[in-house]
Amino acid sequence: MASTEDGLARWLGELWGEAVTVDGLRESSAGARRRNVLFDAHAGGRTVPLAATIIPTAEIQILDPASEGEVRTVAERGGVPVPHVHGSTLDPGYVGGPFFVSDRIEGETIPRRVLRQAAALGHGQHVVGQIGAALARLHAVDPALAPTALVVPPGNAPVANAMANLELAIDGLLKPEPAFAYGLRWLRDHQPDEPAACTIIHTDVRNGNIIVGPDGLRAILDWEGSRIGDPMEDVAWPQTRMWRFGEDEHIIGGLAGVEPYRRGYTEAGGTWDGDRIRWWRALVTLRWGTGLAGQSAAHLDGRFRSIVMAGSGRRVSELAWDTLLLMRPD
Amino acid sequence: MQFRPDADELLGDIAALLEDKVIDAVSGPLQHQVRVAANLARIVEREVRLGDAAAAAERARLAAFVTDDGDLVAMRARICDRLTDGTPMDAAEGRAIYAALVATLRDDLAISKPGYDAWTGV
Repeated sequence: MASTEDGLARWLGELWGEAVTVDGLRESSAGARRRNVLFDAHAGGRTVPLAATIIPTAEIQILDPASEGEVRTVAERGGVPVPHVHGSTLDPGYVGGPFFVSDRIEGETIPRRVLRQAAALGHGQHVVGQIGAALARLHAVDPALAPTALVVPPGNAPVANAMANLELAIDGLLKPEPAFAYGLRWLRDHQPDEPAACTIIHTDVRNGNIIVGPDGLRAILDWEGSRIGDPMEDVAWPQTRMWRFGEDEHIIGGLAGVEPYRRGYTEAGGTWDGDRIRWWRALVTLRWGTGLAGQSAAHLDGRFRSIVMAGSGRRVSELAWDTLLLMRPD
Repeated sequence: MQFRPDADELLGDIAALLEDKVIDAVSGPLQHQVRVAANLARIVEREVRLGDAAAAAERARLAAFVTDDGDLVAMRARICDRLTDGTPMDAAEGRAIYAALVATLRDDLAISKPGYDAWTGV
């Protein structure tokens, strides 16, 4: 079987219409189910630093790589910092699975390194402001430009749809979790109206899916979870405790507080709805808890045997705690 | 009866071996798996020591709201039903259930993630 280098060189040669060689290939640490490789492409005397995201064909993918490439391109045109996509293919014949190729952007991606850099340079507030602005620009993109593969919530009702899915997830838990039942009750009691308009949402903007350099935010990564939804869901997600890596007083990714993030979002044209954000924060926190519970179920029933997935079951009480903190009775 | 070391002592020994020796001897995804395994051994070590008392305390708390038949999982299912079956609940009962759930989660976290409950902000 041809090497990944050969496969990428052959595909790039066809894309660019010239002879291409590839070297310096290395696996990036990011991505649990996807292979992210970094490499240099040489063509016509120039060297282009690139990254490829490869999806093993046997894996279940959320969004096919061609559509993921498309949504990144749409976001880029809207002013969101993303690594520029050169192209994609669904043909597994090049490197063993579908993939897309984008520019390789230098910087920190590992959360603790991002936090260390922000502590050293003092640019955490700047970075969270840029994250807010990037989300506002994404939410300003006309959703009609979205690739057709992006999931649209049934009836254009993301709130009701999220609640229905959450009820199913809670019903399916292997053990009853009273904190999640309390959470479900609270979410029902505080359920907002459906949003005035749905937009493209990334769903996983957080410390861990960003590239940060000394100058600040350079790119937002991992667009595989993109879909159509309530923009306030997207605004809520980076505020959850899971992405603070122990720096709990810095609500946004352990980097800085909500205020510079809110300012970044509103100054870039976003409309901030605090009550709705609070509701989505509670929902996505509880939903993450049911996701961890689901991982342990997949381990226990043999779908995905893994000590890491087993361990997820013992993290459920963390998410139960986080959920209750967001629902304190008056 | 088994001789010493007791179960919690052995789990601590297994965790220490993984943490002090094995992690440095492996790399990549396996290193992450070993770290998780060491942490799980620590969790079960604490569960062996603290689990019975935590379960008894949870049962006593839940007995204020649902029938106590000695089966903690069934009692948890009953409080879940009470919370989600749509029947009205006055504010005082809601607050009391909330306080009971918080207390139980503190006990759970003392086993699975000591210190996690120190943060009570949002």
